[in-house]
Amino acid sequence: MAEETFDLAACLERVRQRDQIAARELVDHLYPLVIRIVRSHLPRRVAEEDLAQDIFLKMFTRLDQYKGAVAFSHWVSRIAVTTCIDQLRAQKRRPEFRWADLSEKEAEVLDSVLTSEGEVAANDAFAARELVYKLLSQLKPEDRLVLKLLDLEQHSVAEISAITGWNPSLVKVRAFRARGKLKKLFEELQRKERS
Amino acid sequence: MKDFDARWQRLVTAARQAPTADDVVTPYGFATRIAARALGEPQRPALLAVFGRFSIRALWVAGLLMMASVAANYLAFAGNEDDEQNLLDPVSEVLAAS
Repeated sequence: MAEETFDLAACLERVRQRDQIAARELVDHLYPLVIRIVRSHLPRRVAEEDLAQDIFLKMFTRLDQYKGAVAFSHWVSRIAVTTCIDQLRAQKRRPEFRWADLSEKEAEVLDSVLTSEGEVAANDAFAARELVYKLLSQLKPEDRLVLKLLDLEQHSVAEISAITGWNPSLVKVRAFRARGKLKKLFEELQRKERS
Repeated sequence: MKDFDARWQRLVTAARQAPTADDVVTPYGFATRIAARALGEPQRPALLAVFGRFSIRALWVAGLLMMASVAANYLAFAGNEDDEQNLLDPVSEVLAAS
């Protein structure tokens, strides 16, 4: 995002004076940031644009509350993350994860991860990603979010803290607990495979 | 599972290799639609602000009513101190009659 070429402060000032052109510029400027968060936290992309729209509308509604204590992009990220978590909470979670929920390729990847020590084949990357999303979908939205940011997107604890607004200790605790739950899920899958 | 972390890391490492959708350009008309929806309608006062304004007014009214009722009752009590002696006590009357 080219913060240096985009005069954010001036744009915000114009938006506060209800300038629609400035509002459009602000949406265009922030869209890559918002859509990346939406895509990485809502695997089923059916409503990706609707969710992005909700985030932007919330941002405009709350603009008067922004006092500049954090970078504007972080402030918007937090709105996006909170909105995504609310959306994920609204999605009904399957009570049980089954091998039958996986495609043939995903099942192969999972089997390979559970039974062998070798790396997953490069041409199975897409199946691996889908599998990761399916496994994460069994976790609570907050747990899912922290593992995605930490393991999949490789953000640091400090970055996650800035994006989510959670303090670094909370990020670490959530990641630890989330990995614990995922471990149980792996064990359960391994047991089911053997039985 | 002893080596869960290693297995999980192998899986996410493979997942990271998958190509991601990089089309992060704003869809046509999206920004215009958002701007129109966000700024097009006349600004309404926030619900909390309305609630706050009414709360303050209600507080003033409640305060005035409280002061008025205290004053009215104080005058009534202060003016009728002697009358308390003359109040009829039905219980003592019944007891005295029996």
